[in-house]
Amino acid sequence: MDLLAQILVNGTLLGGLYAVMALGLALVWGVLNIVNLAHGAFIMLGAYVSWHLYTYLHIDPFLGLPITAVVMFALGYALQRGLLNLIVRAPMFNTLLITFGLEVVLTYLAQLAFSADFRTINPPYAGNSLQWGPVVLPVARLGAFCMAIVLTLGMWLFLLHTRLGRAIRATAQNLVAARLYGVEPRHLYAVTFAIGIALAGAAGGLYGTVSQINPYIGASLTAKSFAIAIIGGLDNPLGVIVGGLFLGIVESLTTLYIGPTFADVASFGILVLVLIVRPTGLLGKTA
Amino acid sequence: MSLNRSRLLFSLLAACIAAAPAGAALAQDVVLGASVQLTGPVANTGRYYRDAYQLAIDKINAAGGVKITGQSHKLALKLYDNQSDVNLSVRQYTQLVSQDKVNLLLGPFASNFALADSAVSEKYKVPMVQGGGASDQIFARNFKYVFGTLAPASNYFGSTIDMLKALKTPPKTVALLYADDAFDVSVAEGTRPMLKKAGFDVVMDERYSSNTSDFNSLLSQIKSKNVDVVLVAGHETEILNFVRQAKSLAVAPKMYSFTVGVPSEDFRKALGKDADYAFGMTAWLPTPALKDRWFGDAAQFAKEYKAKFGYDPDYHAASGVADVEALVQAMEDAGSIEPQKVRDALAKVKFDSLYGPIAFAANGQINLPQVVIQVQGDSLAEIYGAKGFVKQPKYPMPAWNAR
Repeated sequence: MDLLAQILVNGTLLGGLYAVMALGLALVWGVLNIVNLAHGAFIMLGAYVSWHLYTYLHIDPFLGLPITAVVMFALGYALQRGLLNLIVRAPMFNTLLITFGLEVVLTYLAQLAFSADFRTINPPYAGNSLQWGPVVLPVARLGAFCMAIVLTLGMWLFLLHTRLGRAIRATAQNLVAARLYGVEPRHLYAVTFAIGIALAGAAGGLYGTVSQINPYIGASLTAKSFAIAIIGGLDNPLGVIVGGLFLGIVESLTTLYIGPTFADVASFGILVLVLIVRPTGLLGKTA
Repeated sequence: MSLNRSRLLFSLLAACIAAAPAGAALAQDVVLGASVQLTGPVANTGRYYRDAYQLAIDKINAAGGVKITGQSHKLALKLYDNQSDVNLSVRQYTQLVSQDKVNLLLGPFASNFALADSAVSEKYKVPMVQGGGASDQIFARNFKYVFGTLAPASNYFGSTIDMLKALKTPPKTVALLYADDAFDVSVAEGTRPMLKKAGFDVVMDERYSSNTSDFNSLLSQIKSKNVDVVLVAGHETEILNFVRQAKSLAVAPKMYSFTVGVPSEDFRKALGKDADYAFGMTAWLPTPALKDRWFGDAAQFAKEYKAKFGYDPDYHAASGVADVEALVQAMEDAGSIEPQKVRDALAKVKFDSLYGPIAFAANGQINLPQVVIQVQGDSLAEIYGAKGFVKQPKYPMPAWNAR
């Protein structure tokens, strides 16, 4: 029983991390209709930014998240204005091609810049844990989980209640009408993409506190984020939280009851199931 | 202007033609071909092989090269980056033998690569000496042209299990975790019967997917089953995550031991103090006792390696050097660079290297004992070898909050 409780807690904390990884992907996909295959590479870059902040400037990885986010925001804005705006209205295949290329370029640039060595963001408290009855709560994961909730709720409130957020949603719903109301789409696209990348960067910083980083972690993180975004649904940030938690818990339970090799089978099995039964995601509006 | 340019072109052309005989003279060099992971997820270990091959070749050339029937030949290296992609590496080995016409082959890193690439050397009947693949599968196919300088994967944990039995208070329960690839599956298949024979109670025997980054569920089970000893056969990335997550979940078995990572400097650097108490194994340590024809001894080699590349060599690097030396020795023994003759000489080769005594069994694999090592403080301690304890192990490992 204690073990089951611990496994559920593990899954929940893992799910929080998953959710924050998928948040930016879901936003960019939902609004710009770009499936960003470079998403994981941005998570990786965010992890490196945090690593450098911590290693050379001794900035705590959690306190440094806003800096990481700002750096990644600037990168995201520049990439959208300079590159991705070219393909916003192009067929899906072109966007896949260009973001895939971006993923390869970013990954290899990262190896050139940072080498293939493994790094960890390892502040003294990273290995600490809290005891809650029979259950152990790792501090770094708990922090990442809380941050995931904060970011997701913040995202939700931002989209619902701010001018910029409304403009983003309006553009996603009806570009022509949004234009008539004075929205400048190129700038708006760039801001949206930049927010998505900033979120990916923050996720990377959190990821680095619980896992090792190297230039090649991106591809599998993209796949995971993709699955979560589909499972949760694209039109609601809360869906991403649900998708992330669901996946985290399912993977942990699969590891316990069936075996660790089946964790990925389970998560992608669920992805397929959701696509068949509820193609708009668990929290998505039914078509 | 244009006259000048055409004159320049002409003289360049002339220079090329003049250089052609020199090129032909170069063709007498013995070219060793290899495809190694210089980029991609395993680049971190792949670089040991690139650096080791290059250093060994430079060293041998500086000493006059390979002496074949009284004539000196220089060694050259033709190296491709397989980007950590098995399919690409197979194509590159095919290119090396069919297009580039290299004389002999050196291996890639990792068992799944060696498993696939050795099919090329077998098909073209060009010997490949590889120091990066330990899986028994590579040598179970009766191939004639692949030789391996890593100790058999099935016996990686052999010395560790011997040590466990020799402890004053031996452990009772053991967990065996392994990744689902050629090397780690071989390790598990070899370890399982040894554990049974030694009388340990194997309470967990779990196979996980390569590149798993989350070990929390497995660690929670280890804790709840109160496992004494955890043996993990996996990749360095996984093991780093495993140790960090063990700490964050306060899981402290009496000991844990890993097939890879512990001997490498990068592992200890990434984990810092958390690497302390981790057990591992190596078939090689840079001791002056290992004498070598070209480097003097293993300690000397380690010094030169570190000076040149800026990081400490581990057994991968030593194994890579041994590959080059084995080919050179075999060419000299055969008095030829013909692949068939070199192959036959390799099968009989016997010499002392900085990596240890080199001699291949009938299946092409070397047999070297593994030494149990442990991170103790900032250094790597040699704990248990063929002759028993060298240094006392720090066992059991203290709880994380008691360090």
